Amino acid sequence: MHSESLPINRPFDISFLQNYIDRSKYIFTLFSIEGKIALCGVILIFMVALFAPVLSVYLPDKITGSSLEPPGPTHLLGTDELGMDIWSQICYGARMSLVIGLSVACIAGLGGGALGILAGYLGGPTDQLLMRTVDVLMALPSFPLLIVISAFMGPSILNVICVLVLFSWAKPARVARSQTLAIRDNTYIIAAKNFGGTPVYILRRHILPEMLPILFVLIISITSYAIVAETGLAFLGLGDPTSKSWGMMLYYATSFKAIYFTSFWQWWLIPPLVALVFLVLSLAFIGRDLEQVLDPRLRKNGGV
Amino acid sequence: MNGNDRNTLIYRFVITLLVILAINFFLPRMMPGDPFSTLSSDIEGEDVIIMTEEQRQYFIHYYGMDLPLHEQFFLYLANMAKGDFGQSIYYKLPVTRVILLHLPWTILIVLSATAMSTIIGIIIGTISARNRKKGSDRFMMAGLIAFAEIPSFLLGIILLLIFSVQFRLFPLAGAITPFAHYTSLLDQVWDIAHHAFLPIITLSLAQLTGVYLLTRNTLITVSTKDYIRTAVAKGIGEKTVWTRHALRNALLPVVTRTGFMIGLMMGGAVLVETVFSYPGIGLTLRSAVVNRDYALIQGILLIVAVAILLCNLVVDRVYRQLDPRVTE
Repeated sequence: MHSESLPINRPFDISFLQNYIDRSKYIFTLFSIEGKIALCGVILIFMVALFAPVLSVYLPDKITGSSLEPPGPTHLLGTDELGMDIWSQICYGARMSLVIGLSVACIAGLGGGALGILAGYLGGPTDQLLMRTVDVLMALPSFPLLIVISAFMGPSILNVICVLVLFSWAKPARVARSQTLAIRDNTYIIAAKNFGGTPVYILRRHILPEMLPILFVLIISITSYAIVAETGLAFLGLGDPTSKSWGMMLYYATSFKAIYFTSFWQWWLIPPLVALVFLVLSLAFIGRDLEQVLDPRLRKNGGV
Repeated sequence: MNGNDRNTLIYRFVITLLVILAINFFLPRMMPGDPFSTLSSDIEGEDVIIMTEEQRQYFIHYYGMDLPLHEQFFLYLANMAKGDFGQSIYYKLPVTRVILLHLPWTILIVLSATAMSTIIGIIIGTISARNRKKGSDRFMMAGLIAFAEIPSFLLGIILLLIFSVQFRLFPLAGAITPFAHYTSLLDQVWDIAHHAFLPIITLSLAQLTGVYLLTRNTLITVSTKDYIRTAVAKGIGEKTVWTRHALRNALLPVVTRTGFMIGLMMGGAVLVETVFSYPGIGLTLRSAVVNRDYALIQGILLIVAVAILLCNLVVDRVYRQLDPRVTE
């Protein structure tokens, strides 16, 4: 199998990417109905985030109307207490959620994954050190600590991302390590080594293809975790006050005195709530379907 | 699976506790501002000066904040060992008092929610495992999974909007009716239950699906085992087989999860308590962060961390009791 070509010295080959595109098309056909709807939902939110300036007439942080206008023709979803348009806050808020969610997930998922593979491959003290760190990180009460750390670091988007990465790389690292350990001693890896395969070659050819799908599922779940955590922090008043995220909208709406005794909550509190629940549920269903498609054991049982 | 295993467990707990103590101590001290310059302003850079420089120095000295950092740390550890968590600067009470004042409310909702989600989860998990071929089961599963994925505080807002705002069935905030005069004990219990109901439901709904899925999946796995077939062949009746043979074995992972769940809930309770303005430890942590009340933040983090570690130890104990294969 390995003798037909000598890919050892070849630069990164692109056919492996094409392979992935074909596979993702195939995977989509295996999705359940909920999964397909969820994927469309996430794409929709992506589009809203991308075309926010086109979709909304006003800027989210400019006063364009009178205070607390109900939904109407000039302001689609009404205005908040300062007279800012709620629909444009929703559009621009999608950007915040997606940027934070995806960047945390990519850094934590890929970085944690890389550390895990390294630890699993090298073994010894590196492995020990990493695993003890992961143990401690996973035993810490993450949300209370998250609150304190972000209060201490100050409320900027970059800080929120850093703190969330700090708390979410442990799981991908642990999963990647155990996978590497499980794959490492297989006879085909030993064979590849005996044929002169360098560690980089073995990593790219044998370990990464096994690992990427698992990491991808984890990345989706971290995205969702990060979005929820950012919302939670913002909801407590620890978000970036200059940004208009969905969590900040919830924070401003719920801290408005006696909002529940008026009808303001109907257009001020419900839109960000619906948007968040929709996004989180969509990500969850995609993650679930992907897991079922990628894990052959689950597929056989018809999704137990 | 023996004493050695147990030692590593305790060793890990000690390390974790030390890390938490260190984070607890150093982090609040690195926060911007100090408790004497930001007393009534949330806006950064806008210091509300309510005391003269001399007074400020006096208070910094009084609370021992002018000592070198490592001396403060050793002092802190020594006090911690004595159970003295320091003085809350905002509440002007010992931290232990402030925590004891609010902790019962959090324990009330977290424990009730744990009990509720575990019991209901096991029951519907069992029902679902027995009916797993039917359409109703698939429907129930999809619905429950959707519930589990909604973060608990968003679910809390939804429940609050529906039941307290729209239908006015439950109170909007607080743990008891202010200035209430109770005619009887029953009256008081009812008032507390009435206020705690929505927070408990919110926390349990978030955890219910986990218990449900775990019970269902382990039951399905267990029901294919040989000893179940033997039990059925013995003719002891379907009910006995399910409760005595299948469920008892399937409960092991559920028990492990319960301990883990209490930890998660303590974290989630911070947000849920904010939604319902429920005066537990979460709401206190929030006000402590806003007011830069170092000692209180440290105390709360420590209590939460110790509670989580203790839960894990207890779960380990219960697990050993339930599973005769794990012996010391």
